[in-house]
Amino acid sequence: MQPLANITPLKPAGAIEVRNVGQIFKTTSQDVVALQDVSLDVKPGRFVVLVGPSGCGKSTLLMMMAGLRQQTSGTITISGAPILEPDPNRVGVVFQEASLFPWLTAEENVEFPLALRRVSKDERRAKAQDALKLVGLEGFGKRHPHELSGGMKQRVSIARGLVQDPPVLLMDEPFAALDEQTRMTMGDELLRIWAATGKTVVFVTHSLTEAVYLADEVIVMSPRPGRIVDHLQVSLPRPRTYEMLSGDAFGRMRDRIWQHIRKSA
Amino acid sequence: MQGLGVKAARIAIVVALFAIWEILSRTGIVNPRLLPSASDTLSMLGDLLQRASVRKDLVVTATEVLTAFALAVPFGVLIGFLIAENRYFADVAKPLLFFAFSIPKSIFLPMFILVFGVGFAQKVGFGFFSTIFIVIMSTTTAVESVKVEHLTIARSYGATQMQTAFRVYLPSMLPVLLEALRISMIFNLTGVILAEMYASRDGIGHQIATWGENFQMKQLLAGVVMIAVIAITFNELVRWVETRCSHWRT
Amino acid sequence: MTATTLRRLIVIGLIVLWEMLPRMGLIPELFLPSLSSTLIAGWSDAAEYGHALAVTLYEVAISMAFACGGGILLGAVVGSLPRPRILIMPMVSSLYAVPLVILYPVFTVWLGIGSESKIAFASIYGFLPTMLATAAGIQTIDPQLLLAARSMGATLSQRLVRVIIPAAIPTVLSGLRVGGALVIVGVVVSEMLISSAGIGYLISRYRTILDSPHVFAGVLLVLAMAIAFNAGIKWIERKAAIWQTGSRAGQRAADELTAGAIQPAT
Repeated sequence: MQPLANITPLKPAGAIEVRNVGQIFKTTSQDVVALQDVSLDVKPGRFVVLVGPSGCGKSTLLMMMAGLRQQTSGTITISGAPILEPDPNRVGVVFQEASLFPWLTAEENVEFPLALRRVSKDERRAKAQDALKLVGLEGFGKRHPHELSGGMKQRVSIARGLVQDPPVLLMDEPFAALDEQTRMTMGDELLRIWAATGKTVVFVTHSLTEAVYLADEVIVMSPRPGRIVDHLQVSLPRPRTYEMLSGDAFGRMRDRIWQHIRKSA
Repeated sequence: MQGLGVKAARIAIVVALFAIWEILSRTGIVNPRLLPSASDTLSMLGDLLQRASVRKDLVVTATEVLTAFALAVPFGVLIGFLIAENRYFADVAKPLLFFAFSIPKSIFLPMFILVFGVGFAQKVGFGFFSTIFIVIMSTTTAVESVKVEHLTIARSYGATQMQTAFRVYLPSMLPVLLEALRISMIFNLTGVILAEMYASRDGIGHQIATWGENFQMKQLLAGVVMIAVIAITFNELVRWVETRCSHWRT
Repeated sequence: MTATTLRRLIVIGLIVLWEMLPRMGLIPELFLPSLSSTLIAGWSDAAEYGHALAVTLYEVAISMAFACGGGILLGAVVGSLPRPRILIMPMVSSLYAVPLVILYPVFTVWLGIGSESKIAFASIYGFLPTMLATAAGIQTIDPQLLLAARSMGATLSQRLVRVIIPAAIPTVLSGLRVGGALVIVGVVVSEMLISSAGIGYLISRYRTILDSPHVFAGVLLVLAMAIAFNAGIKWIERKAAIWQTGSRAGQRAADELTAGAIQPAT
């Protein structure tokens, strides 16, 4: 077993701590500062959205939280232990479309992370069924990704991210490739799944509306160098409804984010 | 800088291959009668290029290649255009063409001898036959690579047919056409040389086959190097032009 | 009339013409023997053709193992390592422009006119496209898939076995199709040029005695072989059709192959 995970953590499961993180890309001509001195605390069970223009480093930050990329300086801890490499027991990741393996069925895709750990066939199947049921895809397990709609594929991705029951779910523009209607529905679905599981979610998006609609907290980032310029608490009650989109509170928050983004563009 | 480094490394690889060849033969690890050294082969190549008979063979082959090419390209382009522009014709012809394209052409070589006898017509005919299908297919691809939006824009600004042809079709198709030219030439050259090796009285392919039959390894290898250099030079030339106008592709 | 009907009619028409034109004397039997006389010629000497077919198939099988095995192995290595790829791939595709058939006389001097020289030639003939296709297939695997596998904690070997290999299968199959077809051509052409056995040899021998029906019977046999091979690979491709939607880039490489962009002269 993993001793680190078994030590009583200083922080409860699902807490994310980002401390003075910096990232510098070296290119042949010059060094590009992708992230500069980023610090951030995410409490367990919160839904946090990272938003900002292209190149602000929001996806880079997410990849570092997932252990898929190492920061140049600073530390990131999840559930109290530093994250140095991908650890699916602590963190599940959901990518943009196309990250399902096209040669596997939906069920096998969800089982994939378990198969990597040589979990027994029966246990795998049972866990995959639970995860698919959670995302509302009961009965679609035998289909291949090309037989599923864009929204369904993303549901499978979410099920795959959740199948090992990690306390943290990281999502990198998961709905970017979907059409507007599907996007709204998937947003509601995600909130339902989040409420049912109590995971900590960090969600990267370009869409201001999506950000405010989903989040407990919105982190606004700006590029060159990538840093946090604002941190909003979204006070809208839950469950969120479509009517809130046209309300004043919603509009004010979206405007505030837009002002930041306009300045940095 | 990096590009230069890669080029230098490639040259180093080629030089190293020639050096290995030289050493294998010089030290007698490989029987020098079976593998004459690289230096001997290259000096033989220089020698061959001085010979009137070899030059004549090269001219014969070049004439055949160019004739077959000059016949196959306009003919193939015409058919390719018809297929690309006419939906019904395309539906009828495409599967047949794909089939014709996928079957090996070389085995039909004996037929060309039965029909044309041994000579110029047979070799040109076979070269034409080896090339025509790829020209048709490439032309179809080239025409289909023209973006509909570009045509719509040209029409919406009132472009005449001539203007559309020269300002939209040609520039969009140029990169694909160059690629087609390169590949058709490879097909064509292979077809003609095979025809010469199979049954012929002249041409460089015939000469190579004869050297092989007479175990004249030095001449044979020199001939192989010669053809390889000619083919690669042509190929690189077209590729160079291709990259020069590659900004059209996107 | 639908396109398919017309196409079928054309095919039937061609077959009928093939039978009728030589029979009516519009085309000399020497140029084009009628379908029936070709089939009769092949049937009456079935034993001879059968024996030749066995020789050819033996050579094809061994060459296929060399060409495809070596091509896939080397293509996978070159395709997955960026440095060798940048260095070597352009060289390999230049080599592609060389009409490889000129190497056959070299092999006959080195290995004699038996099966060995055919196998050597056909192996090299089929090797390049298989290698190029495999390298292209490996290199165009969607990086998101690898990233996703890594996020789930897949080790290097798990990524190779569970992601890279399955994702590369469609391009490898198209490479096999082209490479395998070239192996068949390579064997038959080399038999036609210089040899003492095999279908290519039969074709050439009957050609020198101007026995057109027997030449055609041999040509038909080779055609059948090539078509059967092609159909076989296509069947496997269809079986693995789910892969086709795999990497979009891999699909593009497969399209290029079928479109002839990386198909050499046959």
